Amino acid sequence: MKEFNELNDKKTTAIKDLLYRLADDQLILGHRNSEWTGLGPILEEDIAFSSMAQDKLGQSQALYQLLHQIGEDDPDTIAFTRKVNEYKCCHLVEYPIGEYNFSLMRHFLFDMSEAIRFNMLGSSSFEPLAKISKKFKGELKYHTMHAVTWINQLGHGSGNSPAKIQASLDECFPLALGIFEPSGYEDILIGEKIFFGEKELQEKWLEAVIPVLKNANLKIPDIKNIKASYGGRKGIHTEYLKPLIDEMTEVYKIDTKAEW
Amino acid sequence: MSIKSLDPRITRENLPEEPDSKPLENIHHWQTYEVFHQTKKGDRHIHVGSLHAPNQEMAVILAKEQYSRRDKCVNLWVVKTADIFSSGYENEDIFETTPEKTYREAGGYKVMDKINKFKKERKQQSN
Amino acid sequence: MYGGGYIFEETKNGSPENEDSRKLEIFEARIAAGEKIEPTDWMPAEYRKQLIRMIEQHAHSEIIGALPEGTWITRAPGFRRKLALMAKVQDEVGHAQLLYSAAETLGKTREDMINDLITGKSKYSNVFNYPAVTWADTAIIAWLIDAGAIINQVANSKGSYGPYCRALERICVEESFHLKYGHDNVVFLATGTPKQREMVQDALNRWWPPIMHFFGPSDKISVHTETLMRWKVKMASNDDMRQKFLDMYVPKIWELGLTIPDPLLKKNEETGQWEYTEPDWQEFKRVINGDGPCNKERLAVRRRAEEKGEWVRLALLRSEEKYTVPLS
Repeated sequence: MKEFNELNDKKTTAIKDLLYRLADDQLILGHRNSEWTGLGPILEEDIAFSSMAQDKLGQSQALYQLLHQIGEDDPDTIAFTRKVNEYKCCHLVEYPIGEYNFSLMRHFLFDMSEAIRFNMLGSSSFEPLAKISKKFKGELKYHTMHAVTWINQLGHGSGNSPAKIQASLDECFPLALGIFEPSGYEDILIGEKIFFGEKELQEKWLEAVIPVLKNANLKIPDIKNIKASYGGRKGIHTEYLKPLIDEMTEVYKIDTKAEW
Repeated sequence: MSIKSLDPRITRENLPEEPDSKPLENIHHWQTYEVFHQTKKGDRHIHVGSLHAPNQEMAVILAKEQYSRRDKCVNLWVVKTADIFSSGYENEDIFETTPEKTYREAGGYKVMDKINKFKKERKQQSN
Repeated sequence: MYGGGYIFEETKNGSPENEDSRKLEIFEARIAAGEKIEPTDWMPAEYRKQLIRMIEQHAHSEIIGALPEGTWITRAPGFRRKLALMAKVQDEVGHAQLLYSAAETLGKTREDMINDLITGKSKYSNVFNYPAVTWADTAIIAWLIDAGAIINQVANSKGSYGPYCRALERICVEESFHLKYGHDNVVFLATGTPKQREMVQDALNRWWPPIMHFFGPSDKISVHTETLMRWKVKMASNDDMRQKFLDMYVPKIWELGLTIPDPLLKKNEETGQWEYTEPDWQEFKRVINGDGPCNKERLAVRRRAEEKGEWVRLALLRSEEKYTVPLS
């Protein structure tokens, strides 16, 4: 494709790094959320949550496909055969599913960022990414509707529900700030109008999530004094990622040359 | 000892090897809602099933995946089952009306015979 | 997925003799004329009771059936399989939702049914008490167990109870995806590397006896079903369904060069019937009564899922709102 050939090396590297970050986040969270399939808190929610996990995996596959088009290996190979320190996902997505409040809060915080991110990427100067981003819009809108409704209702829920959801917010928040860990390519991504950059995304994200959390009667964590969980974008991960990757590639690795 | 399952998800749950056989203590019933979907604008909404939900906002969120994850859909209605009032099958016979109500059917009006007869007579008169 | 044969026992004292004979006559005439019975219609107590049992067991089979295949959900190889397996297991949960709703219309709440499941009072299809040892087991389950389920469910969808038939109509559409997916998966393994072939043959060896059990005890040893047949609750005999399954799928298994672990299996060309080693009905009984390889785990998992979800359901409960039996 012509447009890809015109990319200079530096720009290509920056785009690849961005795509790996986006796709790896979705791949890992999609895997995590899929663990609830058949074990959810009520049948109807089990179904909804599984659909959203499928959406995540589907979106990551589309992004890996785009990577393939600009010179990387095919989606299955890059998704399932890299070394752990080659993954660029943030720490938030790596954690085990925990109780449902944790999984829901993570889903809320993460998908709010995804909705804003892909909305911004809809006008990326890198056309193929802009095109894909627009396709994600409907799915992400449902995800955020689902997440906002749940967070709001559990925040106002009876029993220990508000306390549980508050505890998950406190636990997830530093991890969620790690979504916005700047890459080494922010300048070129912003300069070339490929992506507005993680800093701007974080600001927009805060503007979006804080009113929802307030509405849900939750105490907003003291952002200035929180240390964001950084490292994921540079390949430094939590202890949870390696066992997860081993697990999700267990069958594939029986014979990587075989067609499964 | 906890159950060591072939399913890593289950192993992580640390389930007791001898499961409890007591019934669950707290049983909570959410309400039921009836779900109607519309496959495209211009079509009618059609009843597709029911679901459990705590309120209408949640009912829509949950209905979306259970009732339209495959089929095309542009809109969903949810109605509390309790709010639906039915004519009742015990009254099914009220719909059995006598068949001779041709006066309210298009087929009950056949005037061509008259017109043809009239035209024929006019023609004869003018001859 | 899984209707799984008529494994429920019929009660002997619930005969329709205690019913209003005039109403019973009209009821039976309606069924004979091919009419469907709707939830608010008059029905014999025994009809209601047997339907609840059957639909409830079917629903339990779906939600428990999500577990053996779920075993491999985090490990499915590659995007295509992972997404398909998720969608399939999700469908099983969806089927449980539809079937519990259908059973609820007869007057038993979903929560009561789930309680009866996890206390062992109510059964589910026996096949799910066996483990999915390797990835290939999920392929065999998705293909052959779902194939068996379709035979059962297509028959049941022509039954007399409206809500159950409607649920089954949608379920059968989704099952056809499961069957295709399962077949595709088995074909890839059977035509793949020696290791893959070995995996799928092993899985077939493991699953053949449960598959033969799937349609329930032979008609020779099962209790009378005449009334339930007349009421179109039971739509086909266990042996007939088993024959139909063998007719449709044995050739498809053989064409892949796989061996079915039954030396006596062959079609008698004169009678048109399949002959096979009589399944071990003692084992069937033992497993269904709790002594199978996975019974404890399956119930423990379901119990844990319910317990983990309890606070969520409670959090959103409004005490002033009352549960209503779903419409249809």
